[in-house]
Amino acid sequence: MRYRDCFAHLASRQTDQFVVTSAGNSGQIWWDVTRDHERVFYLDASMSLSTMFASGIAMGHPERQVWAFMGDGAFCMNPGMLMVERQMNLPNLVHFLVSNRRYGATSNAALPNQAANDYAAIARGMGLARVFEFASLEALESGLDAALDGADGHTFVVLEVEPLSDAEQKLPQPPMDGPELKYLFGRHVERSTGVKIFDHAL
Amino acid sequence: MTEPSEISRRIAEELAACGVGLVASLPDNWITGVMDAIERNNQLTHVPVNREESAVGLCSGAYFGGIGAAALMGASGFMTSIYAITKINYTYEVPLLIVITLRGTFGDHHKHHVSNGLYLEPVLDAIDLPYLIVDRPDELHRIGEAYRHSRTFSRPVVVALTRSLLKGGHQP
Repeated sequence: MRYRDCFAHLASRQTDQFVVTSAGNSGQIWWDVTRDHERVFYLDASMSLSTMFASGIAMGHPERQVWAFMGDGAFCMNPGMLMVERQMNLPNLVHFLVSNRRYGATSNAALPNQAANDYAAIARGMGLARVFEFASLEALESGLDAALDGADGHTFVVLEVEPLSDAEQKLPQPPMDGPELKYLFGRHVERSTGVKIFDHAL
Repeated sequence: MTEPSEISRRIAEELAACGVGLVASLPDNWITGVMDAIERNNQLTHVPVNREESAVGLCSGAYFGGIGAAALMGASGFMTSIYAITKINYTYEVPLLIVITLRGTFGDHHKHHVSNGLYLEPVLDAIDLPYLIVDRPDELHRIGEAYRHSRTFSRPVVVALTRSLLKGGHQP
């Protein structure tokens, strides 16, 4: 499935979910599809930590689903994160593993063992129960509802996508600076949940 | 001399008292007692993690969950986390209390911590990361001071715990 088509479908299903993107192509494509600068934290400055970051958000907002995107390049750097995710088993966390079998942000450089990596099997091997795989847009459209119904616990979704084309690689990154992102996202969280982030009593 | 178990309990209590609700940890021999005390403290949620960078990520996200958080780790684990700290906490200016062990100094008989004795404090200085050293029981209140400073400073702050504090005196 095409990366952008996949994200366009996911974006069409977003209601009040918070989104965290990762270093790599996910922030670039989510920005291209949504131009959202409030409900999403573009965690571009981090390899392999987007789902840990999202877990912290999810802990504080159990009523709100959190979608965390991570490329398989980042996943390969820290697969043990799934042990922590399984242990926490947050029912409102959805970990989307975007598998393009490349280091997408670095000109689609080769990923180790790229053909044989079975991310769903790795997840199941770490005890995850809610594991979904979608390799086509049709499968995603028909199966996403079940994946997003996370009442029974943490969810891991493998999205098999094509690497970005040379033209897509040139799509702009989200233009916000780090502190700007912090306040845009944080103020949205405050407004939409009532939880105070920036005015802790000192 | 204050017993190590009492020190561990007081560290957990100090964390809870200053506003920390989540502690993500990876062990070091000097802080296993602290981890046990955190696990037993019903004001704290304790999450053991797979690597120290995961603690940085989880605690940084918890900031946006409105949860005060601390990452607890050994000196070596801290040294492996410089990427995550500078990328997440410096780029986005996210506060974080990091509690580490001050390994490789006088009294630490482990040769594999010589590198920490040589480079831990120079690395903290090189990345302009404020830190304070807690060496005595009457300094434990400084953990709360460091937490509050991280919120004011909008960046990480490190508290380094010494062997004499955690293990009750220097090795012969």
